[in-house]
Amino acid sequence: MPCVADWLNSPLRLVQGLFAQSGPNPEWEKKVTEYFREKLKENNATNWVPSLNDVPLHYLKPNSLVKFRCMVQDMFDPEFYMGVYETVDTNTRTRVLHFGKYRDVAECGPHQEIDLNSSQTVTSERQTFYCVPVPGESAWVKEAYISASQARVSPSTSYTPSRHKRSYEEDEDMELHPSKQKEQHTGSVGDIHGCGEPKRLETEASAGHHLTSPNCSPPLDLNFPLPGEKGPACLVKVYESWDSFKVNDILEVYGILSVDPVLSIVNNEERENSSSLFDPMECMDTAEEQRVHSPPASLVPRIHVILAQKLQHINPLLPACLKEEESKSFVSSFMSELSPVRAELLGFLTHALLGDSLAAEYLILHLISTVYARRDVLPLGKFTVNLSGCPRNSIFTEHIYRIIQQLVPASYRLQMTIENMNHSRFIPHKDYTANRLVSGVLQLASNTSLVIDETSLEQGQLDTTGVHNVTALGNLITWQKVDYDFSYHQMEFPCNINVLITSEGRSFLPSDCQVHLQPQIIPPNMEEYMNSLLTAVLPSVLNKFRIYLSLLRLLDYSISDEVTKAVEEDFVEMRKNDPESITADDLHRTLLIARFLSLSAGQTTLSRERWLRAKQLEALRKARLQQQKCVNGNEL
Amino acid sequence: MAPRDYLAEKDKAKRFLQDFYRDDELGKKQFPYRDQLVALAQREQVALYVDLDHVAEDEPELAEAACENARRYARLFADAVHELLPDYKERELTHKDVLDVYLEHRLMLEQRGRDAGETHGPQNHYPPELLRRFELYFKAPSSAKPRVIRDVKADSIGKLVTVRGIVTRVAEVKPMMVVATYSCDQCGAETYQPIQAPTFMPLIMCPSRECQTNRSGGRLYLQSRGSKFIKYQELKMQEHSDQVPVGHLPRSISVAVQGENTRLVQPGDHISVTGIFLPLLRSGFRQIAQGLLSETYLEAHHIAKMNKSEEDEVAPAELSEDELRQITEEDFYEKLAASIAPEIYGHEDVKKALLLLLVGGVERSPRGMKIRGNINICLMGDPGVAKSQLLSYIDRLAPRSQYTTGRGSSGVGLTAAVLRDPVSGELALEGGALVLADRGVCCIDEFDKMLESDRTALHEAMEQQSISVAKAGVQATLNARCAVLAAANPAYGRYDTRRSLQHNLALPPALLSRFDLLWLLQDRPHRDNDLRLAQHITYVHQHSRQPPCTYQPLDMKLMRRYISMCKRRQPAVPEALADYITAAYVEMRKEAWASPDATFTSARTLLAILRLATALARLRLVDVVEKEDVNEAMRLMEMSKDSLLGDRGQQAKPQRPADAIFATVRELAGAGRTVRYAEAETRCVSRGFTPAQFQAALDEYEELNVWQVNAARTRITFI
Repeated sequence: MPCVADWLNSPLRLVQGLFAQSGPNPEWEKKVTEYFREKLKENNATNWVPSLNDVPLHYLKPNSLVKFRCMVQDMFDPEFYMGVYETVDTNTRTRVLHFGKYRDVAECGPHQEIDLNSSQTVTSERQTFYCVPVPGESAWVKEAYISASQARVSPSTSYTPSRHKRSYEEDEDMELHPSKQKEQHTGSVGDIHGCGEPKRLETEASAGHHLTSPNCSPPLDLNFPLPGEKGPACLVKVYESWDSFKVNDILEVYGILSVDPVLSIVNNEERENSSSLFDPMECMDTAEEQRVHSPPASLVPRIHVILAQKLQHINPLLPACLKEEESKSFVSSFMSELSPVRAELLGFLTHALLGDSLAAEYLILHLISTVYARRDVLPLGKFTVNLSGCPRNSIFTEHIYRIIQQLVPASYRLQMTIENMNHSRFIPHKDYTANRLVSGVLQLASNTSLVIDETSLEQGQLDTTGVHNVTALGNLITWQKVDYDFSYHQMEFPCNINVLITSEGRSFLPSDCQVHLQPQIIPPNMEEYMNSLLTAVLPSVLNKFRIYLSLLRLLDYSISDEVTKAVEEDFVEMRKNDPESITADDLHRTLLIARFLSLSAGQTTLSRERWLRAKQLEALRKARLQQQKCVNGNEL
Repeated sequence: MAPRDYLAEKDKAKRFLQDFYRDDELGKKQFPYRDQLVALAQREQVALYVDLDHVAEDEPELAEAACENARRYARLFADAVHELLPDYKERELTHKDVLDVYLEHRLMLEQRGRDAGETHGPQNHYPPELLRRFELYFKAPSSAKPRVIRDVKADSIGKLVTVRGIVTRVAEVKPMMVVATYSCDQCGAETYQPIQAPTFMPLIMCPSRECQTNRSGGRLYLQSRGSKFIKYQELKMQEHSDQVPVGHLPRSISVAVQGENTRLVQPGDHISVTGIFLPLLRSGFRQIAQGLLSETYLEAHHIAKMNKSEEDEVAPAELSEDELRQITEEDFYEKLAASIAPEIYGHEDVKKALLLLLVGGVERSPRGMKIRGNINICLMGDPGVAKSQLLSYIDRLAPRSQYTTGRGSSGVGLTAAVLRDPVSGELALEGGALVLADRGVCCIDEFDKMLESDRTALHEAMEQQSISVAKAGVQATLNARCAVLAAANPAYGRYDTRRSLQHNLALPPALLSRFDLLWLLQDRPHRDNDLRLAQHITYVHQHSRQPPCTYQPLDMKLMRRYISMCKRRQPAVPEALADYITAAYVEMRKEAWASPDATFTSARTLLAILRLATALARLRLVDVVEKEDVNEAMRLMEMSKDSLLGDRGQQAKPQRPADAIFATVRELAGAGRTVRYAEAETRCVSRGFTPAQFQAALDEYEELNVWQVNAARTRITFI
């Protein structure tokens, strides 16, 4: 398949071709994106493209087409580059036009030099985003993407699962990058032996660190929002419509990989020179800024984007865009078998929550909640659940998180310990010396599940950072926004994060609704119980759960006028009977619960029955709290 | 387009500098630039700012060209000034620094040399830059709008642009070489090299005729004394937060500042910079490597510091006719009030009070005494009546505000703390929320959750509008002229109608009296209100947006501008009204005596009425308080009291006679346990109960085993 190899391996040659055809006419830029869009549309062509997420960087060929699934962590200032430039041959004086788009380094032969004063030069602008892999991405998401791309690369071959990674690379190398094998062997022999390990990303990261040490003294901080994250960070250079991308958006980009070592040499030389006499004017930026903005390409590769799209979700089991025709049939077929899936999921979660079906019901509602609109300051659709009554210092909460991790595409467990609160940074802040946004735990992509574990909280004192962090958490829960710290002022960034708080008593963080856990069974060995629970679920069923939770989030929903009337009447009636127990907040919450209840059953409009069911659930929940209050005396 | 004749342009510039004049008040001609040229020639002034507005009056084309090709025209103007200067020299100069002496020396040498008829190589010529001791800058025409950093794009390269932002980084001031002077070790001739790029290649071989003819190979050495340096500083500035689209990060730009413009700004300053947007050229290997990229920077010509982005934006642009008309419609007071937190339903009077808080009363300081103008408001109420939302809305609406919660702030956090500076190790004062909210609003949520000791820190701030600190060797009084808006829950979580007001508030009277208005937002079932509330909420859930209003709420920015306009008024209370107010106050005091539930009617109440009345007058943009204002102020006071008392009035009605009789008897018994039957009966009858009612009550409570009546029915004994 020479054609595939062509646009995958040497896209720049292709661009050159298109550029040569149209000459200085700016039309060629459009043609390039058109061409690649068409190419990628062809049957599953996207799976042919190696992804930076799962293929280690040193296996990828420079200047080849790659894709990257990532979150925009920081936005740098726009760059001005020469879109078109001219070189002059020093011997023959022949002038050649080149394009500068999709490149970092000018293409310049040994006898050529760039004519800076040429009238043909076109200066253009491009935007650089600093992108990191989606924070908290679950392992099953990564695996699903890997297996999806592998299946297409060589559909005819069959592997044993233990060998699949190794052979995938080999196959890919044979078929797509025949020229690369030599490089691979000279590159890092150790890594090739090591890649039998299940975690490919780990080997990549360690290789990266190995490379760093001789070059720069302190290891480069790749600025991941969550501690312990791995994977390549990337400088994504966007050429068009960059204004539509925002911080924390999840993007899938297709572009040309650039890892030219010259990029790091520039950087190194800069640093050496910074002490010399006549350098200061040379570059306006400080050494730190240089370090951050042009890190070694071996660590932080550049991608010159040809096509980029915002992702609604990162669930690999769902079609990427639900608006398309094919995906509609997928949705409708799944919707038809919705109720058994829901019943199974409810059963599964009930077991996980030690036999408490009410808590399981609320957990489902929580997992499909999403901020669907903002009314001025108030986010609509946030549904923070506080699961109280969790056993203290037990592995129960940890296992609950593991189960959630198995169900949602992205999640993070935040242990609320005094030390954690006082020492970690939750709010992203701007570092002006390095001119970058230093990430914090709360810089998360939309629809990430944040599980806050309050059971490990001990007595102690919060210092200033701790208080700020707790305030930030509170703001996140109440307003679904994070105030990023720009040192001279703060900026509000709306977010959409599902927060689940597990605590012993009532959480000291605000929450939309508190559900007190009432375990029906106390397993003698929690660990065993939970593990057996997870192993008992068939992978296919698990996948259905995953589709269920991701899909329902994206559905539209409406309330008819009739039901609205009934709800209003109902509210007035309830107020009349017992004004203490129901307030405007309760109405908000009950409407929300009704919304998620309807959605969880696959209904996109509110019916009378669902409204009653929502009220019933609320009544049950409140009765439990009341009961708890009586038991604990002054609790609450 | 034909190439411009730059010589002609230079002549135009010369003509402009000489001939531009203004008529002053007396009708005499003033020549601002000629005067400045004299000052430049006398070395009394260094920087000459050419206002392109002035240029545009005489030569519109020249001004336009200067904006488009700013660097070239800056040089043209500088050349023009240079050529003009000798004509304006009025007296011999005394030498100010080394370079002056040096230059004079060289000029004299040159004179002598010319006599000898020696010809100079071009590099032995004195470059004009060396002799020039002034700096020339452009001031952008007022027609050019200040831009946002993200709008400065590749197409503005080489042009004069004005951008606004906040300074985030200031490098130290360094000398930058403008002209390098070399001397030859063989022939002693001097060579000059003007430098325009950031880097230069030093000359090595002497180019003078002597050396070249002799082939002596004279080497050149750089003479730092004879070279000319100017001050040079780099800044980094970042967009204002309000210029950034939602979800984007602020952009920044590098600014190169030279000469007189250096050392003007500090990190954190809001500035507006006029300058030329230029690419930074690299040379050598780096150019090839970086190749396609060019960095850009702004060469600053004029830097203006701004106090705060808001104020400066407001000041020049008064509200337009149209906007004013939009505001000052008939029911503008209601409309403005309703535009506060439009998403919160009802509470019209509270919103009116909050509007007055934003506008504020007039501050008076007769004979050193300070009477505050800020209005303090406390919102009390049941959970879930949108107190916090009102607070956060005010926080966003007020141009300057601080938001804290009682739980999260200590007394020190509110007032001021003494901290040890990590860099210098010296003690420094750090203002708390009240200090930071000076001339603004300080919103304190969860007021009741604050520790008592911390709350006392507020006393001084709320009345004296200042904060005195005496800690760790630092004694200071800080201004805290802010309005306090507090929100608190009643003592038992909910307003308990069975308890007295004081019990419910759980705040000391000393603090309560400092609030001009106290509002109790109660959550009472009421069919119509409930229905409307339900409709509101369901509408929002149904359509995910606001229900349509009878009138469009005003835009936040417009509100802000209108309020700041109101704040500039200083209305006074006319003599005639004084009597009216006094009379009203005396009446209120009397009433307060009569009613047992005395909420605090004190001299502070009178001041509060005056404050509210002046705020109302400000709101109408007039300078005299009218009777209507006073009446409205008193109405608000009354309403706020009603909100506190109204509920208790309601409570009295349903009280059953039996309970009332019990209370009466209990009262009669006092500390003792027995009451005489006859005495109790007469007391009850005198309170308007029938003997039958008394009997019934007696029996009822006897059955409850609360008291016993002896067989002879003469004594009631409490159990």
